Amino acid sequence: MPKYAMAVDLERCQGCRACVEACKVENNTSQGVFWMHVFRLEEGEYPETRISFLPRPCQHCDNAPCVKVCPVGARYKRIDGLVLTDYERCIGCRYCEVACPYGVNFFNWKQPAENYYMDWSDPDIQPASGGEVPPYRNPELDGRYGSEQKQVAGGGHFRGIVEKCTFCVQRIEKGLQPACVTVCPVQALVFGDLEDQESPVSTYLRGKQSFRLLEETGTEPRVHYIGGRTPGTDVREIEPVEGRVGA
Amino acid sequence: MSANAPGTPLPQGIGRITPGWLTIVGLAAVAVALGIYAYSLEASEGLVATGLRDLGTMGGATWGLYVTFVVYFGGVAFGGVTLAALIRLLRLDELRPIGRLGQLLTVVALLLAAIAILVDLGQPLRGLVNLFLYARPQSPFFGTFTIVLSGYLFASLVYLYLDGRRDAAICARTPSRLRWLYRLWAAGYGDSPGERARHRRASFWLAVAIVPLLVVATSTLGFVFGLQAGRPGWYSAVQAPAFVTLAGVSGVGLLIVLAAVVRRVAGSEDRLGLNVFRRLGGLLLGLVLVYLFLLATELFTATYTGEVVERRLTEALLWGEFAGIFWAALAFFLLSLALLLWQALTRRWSIPLLVVAGLLVNLAAIGKRYLIVVPSQTHGQLLPYPEGSYTPALGEFAVIAGLFGLGVLLIALFMKVFPIVELPEEEVPAGA
Repeated sequence: MPKYAMAVDLERCQGCRACVEACKVENNTSQGVFWMHVFRLEEGEYPETRISFLPRPCQHCDNAPCVKVCPVGARYKRIDGLVLTDYERCIGCRYCEVACPYGVNFFNWKQPAENYYMDWSDPDIQPASGGEVPPYRNPELDGRYGSEQKQVAGGGHFRGIVEKCTFCVQRIEKGLQPACVTVCPVQALVFGDLEDQESPVSTYLRGKQSFRLLEETGTEPRVHYIGGRTPGTDVREIEPVEGRVGA
Repeated sequence: MSANAPGTPLPQGIGRITPGWLTIVGLAAVAVALGIYAYSLEASEGLVATGLRDLGTMGGATWGLYVTFVVYFGGVAFGGVTLAALIRLLRLDELRPIGRLGQLLTVVALLLAAIAILVDLGQPLRGLVNLFLYARPQSPFFGTFTIVLSGYLFASLVYLYLDGRRDAAICARTPSRLRWLYRLWAAGYGDSPGERARHRRASFWLAVAIVPLLVVATSTLGFVFGLQAGRPGWYSAVQAPAFVTLAGVSGVGLLIVLAAVVRRVAGSEDRLGLNVFRRLGGLLLGLVLVYLFLLATELFTATYTGEVVERRLTEALLWGEFAGIFWAALAFFLLSLALLLWQALTRRWSIPLLVVAGLLVNLAAIGKRYLIVVPSQTHGQLLPYPEGSYTPALGEFAVIAGLFGLGVLLIALFMKVFPIVELPEEEVPAGA
């Protein structure tokens, strides 16, 4: 059985956020939802400032607080290490969200179809779209995955449930890499099977010093960071994401 | 005891509709209607209608006013029935007239807590089904749903029922339109010495079972927060004991307020005398003292150790965004403490002053529950997210007002159907 993990090379990451974009396109997530987020951080006082970037996918923890607290077992850990959400079981209590120290969970506050960036009913885009509303349902994301055959892939499924990064389960099961990994122009993201000594992630991590985020909380994350260091307590985001879903 | 002559009214104004009662019920019904309307908007638009948002990049709090009141109502429920059980266990006969009010308060508060959970769920219908189908004991919520809402509600309903059988039997002696209900409730109980002894034994053992159940249940409410290592401000061993203590504070406080109201409207000045209030006041005083001790310990730990995120959160509480609520809550606690201490030391107890203290501790408890739920989400991020914010939407306030309205409505209805103050021993109900 594979043991999926991700390595993030902070010395390579240049904060372009292509991974953020790729994740949104691949997983069809609605407005204000960032399954992958890249912190653009700054510390120190001018002129002694230092800039750093920190990609933050779901950490797919081995001791995942979100899995522990879920009252109905909708959030679960697969044997290959993926932490997934059964979209048909989630009751929307958002306990996973408050339990997770990484802030990777997103609740569908609105009907997802009404919460996309493009308003397809806008008369200005009617000439371009010919009045056609693109199929909102992506059959690949509506499929069932894993031995459990649960609906776990992609975002924007139901109003009132929690969704988060799946390591692109729909791609992994076809032998592909997650969208963020594929699209990264500097190969700062590496994904693979830790059980396989020759997998990209195993070879990449071998012999290198790495750390994991917030290890002190005992979550045992599956995302390993190379280069750089755990963000200190006086770092600040250069430009906070304006991602608040409007009423 | 012989049956009453026909035409003798039932005790405590049962069955008599007065203009005052109608006004209260009318106001409560308006609040309930408002709450239902607000919730219907929320149900059609989604939780986007609330002020809640995601943590992290969205800069919000995902649990807010609803969860605050789940915890508050859960706490009040604990206070009510625990007191009723302790009265039996410790043979606090002076306090017996207040027992039924305590049991009723618990049943009502639990109902309100359950509704508050449902309105907070993104998928309430799934919640009703999946919580039964897939419940996981590993989740701290499990205790909230099973022990608190189901076990506790069941236990207090049984307790309310058993404890009421004698009064039902007495009321059934008077011909009235509600006689069928009293007969049903009494279920053959005739208040003979043998029955009375058996009844007393059953109540005692039920009380023995209820008290530990309740302490465990209220602790699980504390564990919902206290076990989260990734949330500064929540992760604390003092969380469960503090939850139990504050639950007692708010429950006893509200019971004092309700008892004062019942005393007036049900004409029970003789049964709910100053000695009852004096006892409750003393109990409240003790609980407030223990709670303030726990609060001080918590604050001292958070500020002294200097763990950065914990300290930032405490600063937001003490001097920052939440300072208004924090200091107001603390001032209310201290003011009620002063009121209670003054009365205890001078041995001059006054019902109006006790009611003020009861109201103050409840406002303080609501404030404190809010401060437990919200700041750790908006200001307790371990990763460098910017500070979040949460302002409850009007609809959230309306739903909460509706819940309080429903509570008032249920208690007011109960008072017109059944004696809310246990009838005295050997007394034939005569006009009260």
